[in-house]
Amino acid sequence: MTLKRAVITGIGCVSPLGRDVSALIAGLAAGKSAAKYMEEYKQYIGLRSLIAAPAELVDEKKIPRKDRRSMSRMSIFSVQAAEEALADAGLAVADLLPGGMGCVIGSTVGSMNTMSATFETMLPDFDLNQMTAMQFFQVISHTAVMNVAQYLGITGSVWAPSGACASGLQSVGMGYDLIRLGRQKAVLCGGTEELHPTVTGSFDVLYAASTGYNDNPTKASRPFDRDRDGLICGEGSGMLLVEEYEHAKARQAKIYAEILGFETCGSGEHISQSSRAAMSRCMGGALKQAGLRVEDIDYINAHATSTVHGDKEEAAAIGGLFGNSVPVSSMKGNIGHTLGASGAIELIISLVMMKQSVIFPTLNLEHIDPDCNAIHHVVETREQQIRCLLKNAFAFGGINATLVCAGLDNGV
Amino acid sequence: MKMTKAEVTAITNKVFVESFELDEKDLTPEALVFDDLGLDSLDTVDLVVALQQKFSVKIRDDERVRSIRTLDDVVEFILTIQQEMAADQ
Repeated sequence: MTLKRAVITGIGCVSPLGRDVSALIAGLAAGKSAAKYMEEYKQYIGLRSLIAAPAELVDEKKIPRKDRRSMSRMSIFSVQAAEEALADAGLAVADLLPGGMGCVIGSTVGSMNTMSATFETMLPDFDLNQMTAMQFFQVISHTAVMNVAQYLGITGSVWAPSGACASGLQSVGMGYDLIRLGRQKAVLCGGTEELHPTVTGSFDVLYAASTGYNDNPTKASRPFDRDRDGLICGEGSGMLLVEEYEHAKARQAKIYAEILGFETCGSGEHISQSSRAAMSRCMGGALKQAGLRVEDIDYINAHATSTVHGDKEEAAAIGGLFGNSVPVSSMKGNIGHTLGASGAIELIISLVMMKQSVIFPTLNLEHIDPDCNAIHHVVETREQQIRCLLKNAFAFGGINATLVCAGLDNGV
Repeated sequence: MKMTKAEVTAITNKVFVESFELDEKDLTPEALVFDDLGLDSLDTVDLVVALQQKFSVKIRDDERVRSIRTLDDVVEFILTIQQEMAADQ
């Protein structure tokens, strides 16, 4: 069986830096951080990390009420990002035969805000009388993909891979496989997440959230930096249209990149501790599938979340495989960790960097941690051609994902 | 607490405006809940929840909910429930 080629022809996102891709890129180019002190987090006893990178909900009422009623923030973000990606690709669902387009969107969980509201109405009397019809549809794990597919009329494969912070990149990987296997002509893929104090609290309780920068929020997320003390959570959604190459070529679509390799694997070691061996195996697997050598990669967009252990392990894994010749940066200094959305949003950023021949630096990387110094860190914006890039996303549970893509005229 | 029909109507209308984003001017007594106001079966679940909360009544398992057709039917149903509750006390 001959596998099809898969290319990315559309991108869209809602991020802490704005409502679309251009707002995100403008914020990154200006070196902005979207981190904020969260006044409402103060009321939670025991929550030590009071910073997050929220996204603004705008124009949600453009989605008709009957479509919107089953959507929480995370689904609205995804609908808006998906519409932007389709418009960018110049492709409508109706342009394909029925069932020709699939949709894959991952997240850590469904809406934590709705889940919390549901329990608030139930407790302390265990009273289900105030439970509404829509709470279930907002809480379920596939809430975003279900809402996007229903709203856009997508009738192909509809999947919701849930791998916490690797969900977004796993979704793109799944879209890649659906195209390669010839099961879809196009797949809208991505990830989404919404903020809630319990999300930050889940990291805080594991000493993985930043607690030392509450009075200086924009400095809190500092991947690979000596003074990092944990991540900050962000929210939003990134969506990409992955399309069969011949289909895209026939309609003369703009092509950002071809996906050449994708690998996802478990560490089999620990539920919360990152593993450099598993990360290395994941990156190596993606390279092998792509048929590329380490020297073919021009840029690595790291997962690096600003946790002490995770950044150290990723730097060691990258250093062990690539040495210190390939430029590496993480976007989480700017937008925080958008969790299930991060892989998709940061892949979108990487594709724009490829298109513009520019590399954005790791924000707040002021003093490279000796534990992370075996790699080539990008600390200021630089102009550089990117022919091939590698994107990492890692998650609790020992979940690892790496995607490799290249411009069509990449020369490798 | 005994409420007048005007009071029940005002609160009911508020439920329709807040929960279903309807325009107050469309909320006439004869308006058909499904055909004119555009609610569907999923909305009626949330209508019942909202009415229970606003009027402190329990109507989820009341068969009479099924016979509601117009906005005025909703108001009359609430008034009836309130009378029954007052009689029970």
